[in-house]
Amino acid sequence: MSVTVAETVAPAEGVLRSSGRDFWRRFHRDRLAMGAAAFLVLLVLAAVAGAPLAAEVTGHAPNAEYSSALDLNGFPLGLMQRTYDAAGEHHDPRGQLFVLGADRLGRDQLVRLLYGARVSLMVAFGATSLAILIGVLVGIAAGYYGGKVDAVASRFIESAMAFPALLLAVGLAVVIGAGLVNALVVIAVFTWYYPARLVRTQTISLRRTQFVEAARSIGGSDVHILFRHVLPHLAAPLLVYGTSIVATNILFEAGLSYLGVGVPLPTASWGSMLSDGVTSGYYRFDPALALVPGAALVLTMLALNLLGDGLRDAFDPRTSR
Amino acid sequence: MMSFAFRRLGAGFVQLLAITFLAWALFYLVADVTGANPAQRVAGKAASKAEIRRVAHELGTDRPLWQQYGRFVWKLAHGDFGYSYQQRRPVAEIIYPAAKTTASLVIGAAFVWLVLATIVGVAGGLRPRSVLDRGLMVLVLLGLSTPVFWVAPMLSYFLGYQPTQGQVFSIPLPHPMTLFPIDGYVNLVDDPVGWAYHLALPWLAFALGFAAVYARMIRALVIEQLGEDYVRTARAKGATMRRVIARHVGPNVAPMVATMIGLDVGVALGGAFFVETVFGLPGLGYVGLSSIQNLDYPLTVGTITLAAIAAVAANTAADLAHGALDPRIREKGGG
Repeated sequence: MSVTVAETVAPAEGVLRSSGRDFWRRFHRDRLAMGAAAFLVLLVLAAVAGAPLAAEVTGHAPNAEYSSALDLNGFPLGLMQRTYDAAGEHHDPRGQLFVLGADRLGRDQLVRLLYGARVSLMVAFGATSLAILIGVLVGIAAGYYGGKVDAVASRFIESAMAFPALLLAVGLAVVIGAGLVNALVVIAVFTWYYPARLVRTQTISLRRTQFVEAARSIGGSDVHILFRHVLPHLAAPLLVYGTSIVATNILFEAGLSYLGVGVPLPTASWGSMLSDGVTSGYYRFDPALALVPGAALVLTMLALNLLGDGLRDAFDPRTSR
Repeated sequence: MMSFAFRRLGAGFVQLLAITFLAWALFYLVADVTGANPAQRVAGKAASKAEIRRVAHELGTDRPLWQQYGRFVWKLAHGDFGYSYQQRRPVAEIIYPAAKTTASLVIGAAFVWLVLATIVGVAGGLRPRSVLDRGLMVLVLLGLSTPVFWVAPMLSYFLGYQPTQGQVFSIPLPHPMTLFPIDGYVNLVDDPVGWAYHLALPWLAFALGFAAVYARMIRALVIEQLGEDYVRTARAKGATMRRVIARHVGPNVAPMVATMIGLDVGVALGGAFFVETVFGLPGLGYVGLSSIQNLDYPLTVGTITLAAIAAVAANTAADLAHGALDPRIREKGGG
């Protein structure tokens, strides 16, 4: 390879662009990660378009309770069964189909699962965005300015990490009440310190690089340096880290809803669906009540974990598994 | 070492103050925002205004906030966690026995997950990318992706409930039997075998997720340590792999695992919420959750505070142990 002068002094952008191409090439080759990404795209589609579509096709609203989906003893329909007729004994062949069965109140599990995906994804992505926003602000300030700012921020991050998050989150959720936005805020309050710590260490090493020094030497302001030179370099690690935080936050939301302090009923959420089947004890007679929302959670977590691993390997092949 | 210990203890003390403040602020906010006047709740619905004022004076809720906080911390320092609205007895009386149950659960589960994680992590780390390693890592990934509040009811169903119906994992048994109890708790001192028997499923449910996290970490640490020069030296001198792992790699990995455990006690206490509810164990999570449902705030705050104190104590102890085991930590200034 002949290296011309123009190439050696070429702007950093060229380097970045080619590493971006490398990233895509490596990522494309990772079949597991591509599959995981495809699954997640499908999941988002199912939540956005699939939920109203399923409600339309089955004619079941997510929160509507159908007494015809319960037999005379009050037991819900199983998978792929149709509603009971007025006598309550036989499945009505002309009755509505409940693809994933009904829950103990006679609500359609499939429709609720799809609407629950909306809640899970909205809270998890919202909380992660908020946590990363706070984390970037705190971490970048601590890492870039150093000294007292760093000392205060670091102590703050350390003590926040020592808190038993779920316990305090439950306490906070009780105080501010159940709600979608509230759950989102509670989760962000107890996760921002992970990105903050990451951003701080990255910023400290970026601060010492030549391109930051060069930018400063030609009179670039702090704000300019932070946003044009430091932040772009944080995008890759934050994307990898953000993926794993989204996974954690999906569980966090499900956990809060499971405990009844997340998204308020009757709004469907995977956590509250699971809790509804389990704590009522109905899952012993119809395991699908626990298996269906549980499988949705496990598959989503699996996809996010695989995607996170794939992104990490694609960005930094040295750390590959 | 002494100055490191003092600094670390000081930091732990500051964390405790921060946590008590947070717990107290939560309680105060609840009373203020929801209008759930504590004096009103203690005095009862039929109480007259004068009675409520008298109770408020006794509780100290009529004083300035800083005095209330001072009183809260002062009482905490003397082991007084307040008074339960619902059960009408001191919170300490309720949460101390519960804490014993939770400690049984968390300590036993930690033992289970460390054993599992060490086996999986070392087996995988010794031969990275081998068939065994890949298989184990698939299991680890599954473990990482499975929430404890799903594993717990599933284990309870397949190993607890189904055998009583004559099945295990839906495979028919010759006759119905009790493989594992579904709920209940037996004190360790009363009946050690019954204690372990009743906790077996909760331990397993609790441990699986953590085992996955730790197996991944131990595997990475083992791979990293096996690449170090001292391992090659030891092998060159004729040490067996078994000896290298036990005498060289182990002591280097152990302090890091100890620190992780210290950090994870807080997380683990959160998981206790779910496991205790599913298996009907009368622990802190169970008490805390029912107190939330009953709007019994002093009990909620007491539970959270006690759990937070335990978490900070474990964290501090782990750091001190790490400092004692690894001189480099002391040099860096306790970071």
